[in-house]
Amino acid sequence: MNEMHGIIFSYEKDNELRELTTQRIHGSLPFGGNYRVVDFMLSNMVNAGIQDVGVIMHGKCQSMLDHLGTGKTWDLSRNRGGLRLLPAFAYTESRGGDGRFRGKVEALGCVMDYLKEIRQDYVVLSDSDLIINLPLEDVLHEHLRSGADLTAVCTSRPGRTDEIYFRTDADGRIVDTAYRVEKPEGLRGLNLYILRTDLLIRLVSECVAHNRYSFRHHILQDGGLHLHAYVWEGYAQRIDSVRSYYEHSMDLLQPEVRRQLFDAARPILGRDRGGPSSYVDPSGECVNSLVADSCSIQGSVRNSIIFGRVSVEPGAVVENCVLFDGTVIRSGASVRHVICDKNAVINGDQTLMGSPVYPMVIAKNSVV
Amino acid sequence: MLLAGGQGSRLYVLTGDMAKPAVPFGGKYRIIDFPLSNCANSGIDTVGVLTQYRPLELNSYIGSGQPWELDRMDGGVHILPPYQSADGAVWYKGTANAIYQNIGFVDLYQPDYVAVLSGDHIYKMDYAEMLRCHKETGADCTISVMEVPWDEASRFGIMNVDERGVITEFEEKPKEPKSNLASMGIYIFTWAKLRRYLVDDEADPTSANDFGKNIIPAMLKNGEKMVSYRFEGYWKDVGTLDSLWDANMDMLMPDSGLNLLDSHWPIYGRTPSCPPAYLGEKADVGNSAVAKGCTILGEVKNSVLSTRVTVGEGAQVSYAVLMPGAVVEEGAQVSYAIVGENVRIGRNARVGAAPEEAVRPEDWGIAVLGPGTVVPPDRIVPANTMRDRHHG
Repeated sequence: MNEMHGIIFSYEKDNELRELTTQRIHGSLPFGGNYRVVDFMLSNMVNAGIQDVGVIMHGKCQSMLDHLGTGKTWDLSRNRGGLRLLPAFAYTESRGGDGRFRGKVEALGCVMDYLKEIRQDYVVLSDSDLIINLPLEDVLHEHLRSGADLTAVCTSRPGRTDEIYFRTDADGRIVDTAYRVEKPEGLRGLNLYILRTDLLIRLVSECVAHNRYSFRHHILQDGGLHLHAYVWEGYAQRIDSVRSYYEHSMDLLQPEVRRQLFDAARPILGRDRGGPSSYVDPSGECVNSLVADSCSIQGSVRNSIIFGRVSVEPGAVVENCVLFDGTVIRSGASVRHVICDKNAVINGDQTLMGSPVYPMVIAKNSVV
Repeated sequence: MLLAGGQGSRLYVLTGDMAKPAVPFGGKYRIIDFPLSNCANSGIDTVGVLTQYRPLELNSYIGSGQPWELDRMDGGVHILPPYQSADGAVWYKGTANAIYQNIGFVDLYQPDYVAVLSGDHIYKMDYAEMLRCHKETGADCTISVMEVPWDEASRFGIMNVDERGVITEFEEKPKEPKSNLASMGIYIFTWAKLRRYLVDDEADPTSANDFGKNIIPAMLKNGEKMVSYRFEGYWKDVGTLDSLWDANMDMLMPDSGLNLLDSHWPIYGRTPSCPPAYLGEKADVGNSAVAKGCTILGEVKNSVLSTRVTVGEGAQVSYAVLMPGAVVEEGAQVSYAIVGENVRIGRNARVGAAPEEAVRPEDWGIAVLGPGTVVPPDRIVPANTMRDRHHG
């Protein structure tokens, strides 16, 4: 059976998410009004028929653990298989490291027993910070067709220099893998891979035995494998800085991006907190915005992403903002280009203004 | 024990395919969410839902009972349709017979008390408080009552009570009511007592096997202790299209007692996963409830929009209840209407009209479109008419 198993990496790594990740890892960052970033990849997996998913966690993973729970949201709460939480406790600390994984292979080495229990023939490896809605079954199909050892999902759209770039031949076979090149060319990798489970176990064991830890370096570049590129031309964005978080949140106001990401046939599943519909008051105004449930909109809201249970009081002005769950904008306050983390309160005499390229972030539970 | 078997014949366009309690309500709910959530919030962890008319929609909606935290190791929510026994299968002949046929179910849990509830009322009530009253007074039966306007009292089952609240007389729809305390169809019984009356009632071939018509009068006649429990708060029987529309509108009124955002007594429901609502550049939304999954590009005033409703550019929606998946295309107008699930209203069509536009006030009424109705572009569906998908 050509079945797939999902592994999602969700541990701390260097990023520029500032205040947004002081209490969480990037995968559990709220995104798009109803979701957390990791919901996208989890839903991609479930929509491709994947029944078993492991999430490798490390660091500030409490909010991720709370969010994932038993996996019920994604129908992954099963007697056999389903969601497997893999908090890899203090592995690198015992080896004198700083408590962080040096690379994906090291993280996989920590959960070798789990890898050996995987009952599917193929494994999908993904980061938790990718906003995408792609059919993984198509990736597997192409992987099988190409006969490659490993297939990497890529995009032809350019990105930053500190990403992986592949050069391919006419058949899509990867002939060069480069990282941190001055002038990136070729296909940009999305850190999303498919390979056989037994091959993954063999590669990880060999790497661990030789103190090799980097998937990029020790497997993609030095592994001597037949690599294939699957090119995805749809929407795919990584959330790794406040700026990219803000930019890609605002992307959701474009109908074409919503059409791609929120395809009803391949729904992104997020945890539903219940609660009533949102209420827009006669005195309120709400245009070009996404609004989740249980909000009270009495003031003016434009070009914004409004999460659940947000209250915008009469006379308050919200423009180009992202307001997380439970934010309160009091009468008379005005906020522009601001990201308010959960339960922030902006009092009436405040005028807060960030910049589109450097939005202001109000930390969780703060009162301004 | 939640009576949810009603066909809801007075809601007929909306209930062609489903039992009345499964009808969507208030944006994110269905009618049955109210009694189920009341149970959950009152600490009742074992609920039997008695169904018989078109139960599919209701069964799949209730499922394991998880949204109401009624998925329990012991107890939880159970769907109880009529079943085949050694003596053959019988439909539920009446409300009392429905409970009678499930005496075995109740006995499994050996409760001291049983609440008999109706699946088609909109209200928020703490049954634990009512049970406390039932225990304190040592009643055999406690009936929840509320004051109704005197001029409407003759439409209800009226309870005459003494100064301590003990029920002395029960009159179904009296011509000259002696009291304005109406029964809300919510009962708490001491189970051992009710069990006996159910068995006796079943043995009487002339009985209609109904709580209001038979059980309650029989208990009163025999001098059982019947006590009224006064409820003050919002309660509405949404058994008619008008009352269903009214109750939806009440959710938009801050002082109606049914306010949408009131969080102290949460109502739970099962909703599909969908993205947040998108309100477009030209959207003009006021005094309205908007649920996730909606796309609003036009004007929406004084309306309740359920999940996945679409309102196109230039469309106008006012005083309307739009059920899940309804689509109002560009330029269409909908006012004073109930629009069923997955209805499509074509471009520039007009559905319903404001009361002031009626030539004769007595001819005015809300317009109702049953689930799946397609209204072609430019078509007019006048006020006070009903359409379903077979008679668009």
